[in-house]
Amino acid sequence: MQKVEKKVADQYFKIRTTLVVVFLIIGFSVSFGVAFFAEAINESGAMIMGMPAHYYMGAQGAVVTFVILLFLNAIISDQVDKKFGIDEKQNVKISGGGADH
Amino acid sequence: MDQQSLVSLILILLTFALYIGISVYNRAKVTSDFYVASRGIPPFWNGMAIGGDWMSAASFIGMAGTVMILGYDGLAYIMGWTGGYLLLTFLLAPQLRKYGRFTVPEFIGDRFDSNPARLIAAIATIIISFTYIIGQLSGSGVVIGRLLNLPASTGVMIGVVVIAIYASLGGMKGVTWTQVAQYMILITAYIVPIVFLSLQISGNPLPWLTYGNVVNELGALDRELGISEYFAPFEEGNRAQFLALLFTLMVGTAALPHVIVRFYTVTTMKAARWSGAWALLFIALLYLSAPAYAAFSRFVIMTQVVGSPIDDLPAWTEPWLNTGLLEIADSDGDGVLAWEDLVIHQDIVVMATPEIANLGMFVVGLIAAGAMAAALSTAGGLLITISSSFAHDIYYRLMKPEATDSNRLLAGRIAIVLSTIAAGLVALDPPGVITQIIAWAFALAGGTFFPVLFLGVWWKRMNRQGAIAGMLGGLSVTLGYIFLSMGGVTFFGIQDTGAGVFGVTANLLLVIIVSLMTPPPEQRLQDEAVDLRYPEQMTYKDGEVWMNDEQAK
Repeated sequence: MQKVEKKVADQYFKIRTTLVVVFLIIGFSVSFGVAFFAEAINESGAMIMGMPAHYYMGAQGAVVTFVILLFLNAIISDQVDKKFGIDEKQNVKISGGGADH
Repeated sequence: MDQQSLVSLILILLTFALYIGISVYNRAKVTSDFYVASRGIPPFWNGMAIGGDWMSAASFIGMAGTVMILGYDGLAYIMGWTGGYLLLTFLLAPQLRKYGRFTVPEFIGDRFDSNPARLIAAIATIIISFTYIIGQLSGSGVVIGRLLNLPASTGVMIGVVVIAIYASLGGMKGVTWTQVAQYMILITAYIVPIVFLSLQISGNPLPWLTYGNVVNELGALDRELGISEYFAPFEEGNRAQFLALLFTLMVGTAALPHVIVRFYTVTTMKAARWSGAWALLFIALLYLSAPAYAAFSRFVIMTQVVGSPIDDLPAWTEPWLNTGLLEIADSDGDGVLAWEDLVIHQDIVVMATPEIANLGMFVVGLIAAGAMAAALSTAGGLLITISSSFAHDIYYRLMKPEATDSNRLLAGRIAIVLSTIAAGLVALDPPGVITQIIAWAFALAGGTFFPVLFLGVWWKRMNRQGAIAGMLGGLSVTLGYIFLSMGGVTFFGIQDTGAGVFGVTANLLLVIIVSLMTPPPEQRLQDEAVDLRYPEQMTYKDGEVWMNDEQAK
């Protein structure tokens, strides 16, 4: 066991939390944000992939964005862990198979 | 039995044999196998199992039709049911995995060191999961009955027997690998028909790229008819209802116990993050296809069926007219079918597509097997959740903490068989309100659990009084609003399906206010919450973070 500087530990938590907040803001903008302005977008006549833009975002755009965000989160979090010297093998060993409850 | 029923039946029986075979091979030997598959499922396969667990008979059969009938407003379901995985993977799943328990009520009970909170959570879990499973069983009974020309009750009973065998034998370990197989079958069955439909309509085998033009043409056809365009927003409600429904579905998805528990089956927080990413990718394959299904079907009906003489409709319409899923009424009496003369049931879209596109008996059978896979995979996950609430949270944690592992395993198996039988009996003759209750499951799950789990993970000051007040208050406000809106009293035009907005807000406020008005939780419980900020290798203890760097073996 080795003590981690409070500054380092706080920094780890801050980076991870910032990531989550940024990803959630993007995710909410493409879903709630677009739906909020759907009528205006419909009237503007904007098109994506041959269909009205607001319909495209609801049917494909938002879902594809969500998938990309989740993979980005997984990849970037792995890099953050690596930067802070976290060893996944060690994580597996510590979390173990099944705690009794 | 005609040739078509025979082909469908053979395909379904083959898949049943596969599911039972998998669970025999993956028998559960200890409780950790039975509830969390020994926490050894690789993220890629767990993602696929989440896909099977999540996508129900209603997603498989009904969603494309819902999008077709509601137009833009139906897209709230597409975005809500996928967006929930953002909240789940970012805010809850990795932390709940690090906390390392077997069930959601167990997290709530231990995090706040409160048995009343544990009991409330266990009962809410059982109610939510039980209504959901009745929907699966009765839905699959109807579909199988129709496709095989059997009474719906026979369909239900077949499903109940198969699932009781493989879920009690394999537990979570067996259910995980059957869910993987079920996902592969259901996604193949969903995508094959629209690839052919896309080829026929646009000459391109990738429906996701081609249906945009079809959507645009549908708008043009609607303008000619003088009805509102297919893609026009908020025709079925108002903007507030759309946003409230979207919010309720997202939050409800993130708080459904049978989904959360799948994240307990992987090794680490990192594996939970990757599970979420893979899961949404696999789920998106179906949810991105549903609007394409909807657009193609509406296009075929508007261009090939509408405008034909009423006594000379295309051959595929006949069986559906007989079952009542398609109704026509020549309202203006000119002998020609107009769009307004048609009443289309949402379930017809997926089931009739193979016939519309002339894809033959094998594809129809594949759809039947896919629908059954979708129903069984969700029912399997729900049964594990219900039985763990009874056998683990209530029997072991509350009543008999001294029970041996083999007793607990036996209790889990008995609980699964009993809950399957109970759900099957109710599903044989489901009360009419059941479809409504299922539509409310998201509002109830979100209103009861989401704020408690979210703040339980992220806010160390939250205490047991706050948790109990939040769960009970959120549940009451959600139920209260549902009954108010059924009685015609609504705020901002938000209907019963959007009740989660009020339930979640009430729950969140109650947790914060009641926690702050009562003494803070013990230091030990606060430390446990802070510990969830860091990966497994870092431990928070007495205000300091320690890194476990002993050599990994």
